[in-house]
Amino acid sequence: MDDATLKFRQEFKQRLISWLQLEEKKPEDIKDDEALFGTGLSLDSLDAVEIVIALKREYGIPQNAVDQKREIFATFASLSDFVQKYQQDHQ
Amino acid sequence: MGLDNRTAGTALIIGGCKGIGQAIAARLARDGFNIIASSRQAGRDAEETERLVRQAGREFTLLLLEVGDREASKKALQPYLEGDALPEVIVYNAGIARDNLFAFMDPEQWQAVIRTNLDGFFNTVQPFVFGLLARKRGRIIVISSASGQAGQAGQVNYSASKAALIGAAKALAREIGRKGILVNVVAPGVISTAMTESLPLERILPLIPLNRIGTVQEVAGAVSFLAGPDSAYIHGQVLAVNGGLII
Repeated sequence: MDDATLKFRQEFKQRLISWLQLEEKKPEDIKDDEALFGTGLSLDSLDAVEIVIALKREYGIPQNAVDQKREIFATFASLSDFVQKYQQDHQ
Repeated sequence: MGLDNRTAGTALIIGGCKGIGQAIAARLARDGFNIIASSRQAGRDAEETERLVRQAGREFTLLLLEVGDREASKKALQPYLEGDALPEVIVYNAGIARDNLFAFMDPEQWQAVIRTNLDGFFNTVQPFVFGLLARKRGRIIVISSASGQAGQAGQVNYSASKAALIGAAKALAREIGRKGILVNVVAPGVISTAMTESLPLERILPLIPLNRIGTVQEVAGAVSFLAGPDSAYIHGQVLAVNGGLII
């Protein structure tokens, strides 16, 4: 993993914690390859809505770019990498 | 609230220009809401609804849409799905009846009722839910019927659609309550409207403990309560307005 990705993921964990008000979590509690939903972080469908709203608000990612794409939401890493790439492609 | 300059935001009433829907529009306008009312057609009913809303000092917008048509509905509702235009209160009141004994019911009678009463709820309310979740505030009020609670002979199609709305509202209440969106149902009994004017009252009244049929204003009063601040802890409930028809 390059430094830019490492840095992005670290910041993205902090953002995720603040969007979802996971006050009891610290960035190091979120494992890169852990599932976001069900097991792992145990987020639910309303948290997914919250993430979609935040991605639109903070990165300008349109709802239809993410809302039907389950693979983006598989793990923390898949979501973080998608957002990082989207940002690079749309600068 | 009432006739002052404060507004309580916007209330959208799907099926809001006739009968119970018109009374809800008038009442919520008096409660301080600006009104967006949908109807299948412009005309005398829509004009009367507009007059009642403006008389209460509120703004009125007529939305022409056929609730059974998903694409047309989404297009008509598009300007109101997010931001400041997003309504505070959404009332689903569109409904038709095509009564017949089940043995004689034809597919058109079944489908027309399901399409308007049930599919219409999906077509017109579902598009708002994402925006409501984002805002974390709002009220959804679904108008069902005593027929949906207890079943009514000659109305298997109508009863099915109105019972389905209760199930839909309860499930939705469980799904989105955590985000501060309240979902409730009002279930009117026999109410004096064009839909009930041909019913044989002499046979119906003995079934109603209050010994009279209800008024549209009495249904609108229940909707007003569920749209207002006094019902903030009422969620996933069916409020029956039926004179005791079902106890």
